[in-house]
Amino acid sequence: MPVKNEFDVIIIGGGITGAGTARDCAMRGLKVLLIERHDIATGATGRNHGLLHSGARYAVKDSESAEECIRENKILRSIAANCVEDTGGLFITLPEDADAGFGLDYQQKFIEACTKAGIDAHAISPAEAIAMEPSVNPTLIGAVVVPDGSVDPFRLCAANVTDAAMHGAKILPYTEFLDFVREGDTILGVRVRDARSGQESEYRAPVTVNAAGIWGHGVAEKAGVHIGMYPAKGALLVFGHRVNNVVINRCRKSADGDILVPGDSVTVIGTTSTKVPFEECDHMEVTPDEVRLLLREGCALCPALASTRILRAYAGVRPLVADDSDPTGRSISRGIVCLDHETRDGIKGFVSITGGKLMTYRLMAELATDAVCRKLGVTQACTTAETPLPGSADGRIESVSKRFEGKPSAGQKGAAGRQGDLVGKIHFNTEADRQLVCECENVTLAEIKYAVAELGVRSLGDLRRRTRVGMGTCQGTLCIRKAAKALAEALGDPSLAPKLAADYLDERWKGMRAVGWGATLREMEFMQRVYKFEKPYSYDEV
Amino acid sequence: MMKFDVVVIGGGLAGMTAATELQRSGLRCAVVAAGLSLHDAPRRDFKAAGGTLLAGDIVVSGQIEGGRLVSVRTEKLGEVLLEADWFVLATGKYFSQGIVADMDKVYEPVFGLDVEYDEDRSGWFDPSFAAPQRFLEFGVKTIDGCALKDGSPISNLLPAGEVLAGLSSAQGDATAAIRQSALDAVAIIRRK
Repeated sequence: MPVKNEFDVIIIGGGITGAGTARDCAMRGLKVLLIERHDIATGATGRNHGLLHSGARYAVKDSESAEECIRENKILRSIAANCVEDTGGLFITLPEDADAGFGLDYQQKFIEACTKAGIDAHAISPAEAIAMEPSVNPTLIGAVVVPDGSVDPFRLCAANVTDAAMHGAKILPYTEFLDFVREGDTILGVRVRDARSGQESEYRAPVTVNAAGIWGHGVAEKAGVHIGMYPAKGALLVFGHRVNNVVINRCRKSADGDILVPGDSVTVIGTTSTKVPFEECDHMEVTPDEVRLLLREGCALCPALASTRILRAYAGVRPLVADDSDPTGRSISRGIVCLDHETRDGIKGFVSITGGKLMTYRLMAELATDAVCRKLGVTQACTTAETPLPGSADGRIESVSKRFEGKPSAGQKGAAGRQGDLVGKIHFNTEADRQLVCECENVTLAEIKYAVAELGVRSLGDLRRRTRVGMGTCQGTLCIRKAAKALAEALGDPSLAPKLAADYLDERWKGMRAVGWGATLREMEFMQRVYKFEKPYSYDEV
Repeated sequence: MMKFDVVVIGGGLAGMTAATELQRSGLRCAVVAAGLSLHDAPRRDFKAAGGTLLAGDIVVSGQIEGGRLVSVRTEKLGEVLLEADWFVLATGKYFSQGIVADMDKVYEPVFGLDVEYDEDRSGWFDPSFAAPQRFLEFGVKTIDGCALKDGSPISNLLPAGEVLAGLSSAQGDATAAIRQSALDAVAIIRRK
């Protein structure tokens, strides 16, 4: 078994926490290896609302989380401009909320708690709320404006990975963690398997960081360490167009299905919270009851959802952690949990970073990196809060678009919105390069070639996470053959196209099956017909 | 009131095949044709044969008496009902909304005809996109070519094409079977 070169730190997990930690460590001059068993952002990172929390949701109950959120909210707006959209947010009070004890008195308390946490929150009249967001439930009796926004978690994760790599980090996606290399109480490194070739390797570093989200439970067990984790499934629904332009929340105690977030060309309602067994974390299916609940609560926020086509359903697993101080394990912390296993469990060279949320990933990364640096005796200060991510230096579409000669095309504008100032690396040289492959999301052949060359894309799912290809209203029905062919050619092996398309269609089909009735079922029949009209579909003939 | 020998509901492959055959054999036919796909050539043939094409209209309800469909009401003609001896239902499947699925059931939206479907949703879809999909087999039930409502046949309402259970063009080429189902309806009408 070949022993590969040594690193200062190995990070397990390519979600937003691992990506952020890799970036922070690399920026502090450490030699970093990041391993991820699938693609980046395939776990909870890519399976949430994409909400840029203002923190208002936590203001009343958990002022610490609220303060963290608003701080990180402001930081992300400045360092990740091309990943964030400043939609603004509303917390609405409905008549039924008032009946349940969350009326305008609660609204006042809510505003005071927000103000105390440093969140700019002010009440507006129902008429003003309807003028601001016409899709909002018109029966509302009160509304509060807060600085919510939306964030593209795929893009944010990719930007962190890219920046880590630009600072010298080695990034290994599709590399599965098998076990630790250890000597007594000291973790010396990891043993991994390449998911494609099956080849096993060893990597060594004085510190290993467990940033594997809910799967971090299993990673810790391999080190003989127990973290009391609670896999909390959250289901969400994506609607077929952008119904609202402002984030809509309910001004009441946090509950299921009370956040509606517009993101790019769609709208997302979520979420639920159900404890699930660890075995289920790899195979999430959204149940009919979850769909019913989300629809019911979504329609309370925005009645138009009742007649809007659902694109798909999906679910993620929050890595909640039981409080170490509570022996019953019932007290769950939603805060950030950074564990130095040397002081906690007597295992040297091992740190776990978990809990937290997408919004606070940068802070989590900072805490984990601080812990790593303490162990390595490195004193470099964290600079991630001030340093823009790649693509964000001047990520506004208007300024990026000025780089194109003449009037930018839809595909160029789309690319500018997604890739920010990195759009300069995309070569729109030929007519073919400028052609749109995905017309829902305005993705060109040029952007696909760029994603393969620069962003480590190997499958259509990877491509979707980098460019939004096939993510829009047709769910890939009309572009996947084109996209599979383009990707296979960009990868240098046209014969890959059928397999690429098959994997992608099965993945989209899974999300549609959970909501397979009404307008979604019409789309599903159409999708089947597009691929099978002439004869039963064979993936070999893409 | 407008009176025809046959009113065909739906102007796709099945509907136009049946209507043109019947019109050419001397029966007075009307086709109520909504929908996206215009099938220009079949519609031209039908009109050339002297048929009445009500384009861009849809049937919204029907009057059923004594096991027979007496007349149908369209969205545009309103109070002017279409009466006929025979009706052919060729409204297609989900995409054209000849049958509709909601969370709990699958139904035929115009007449509330009996539909064959699995009440247990768990078997509707195969996880593999490429595999045959059970939901595409759902459709209206027939007995001796006639549609059923609450278990009883409607003796002059003949479903044809993809509205039928077991017939779908989304699983591979079904053109021949769709045409044949229309010709089967024609044969029943000619026999009587």
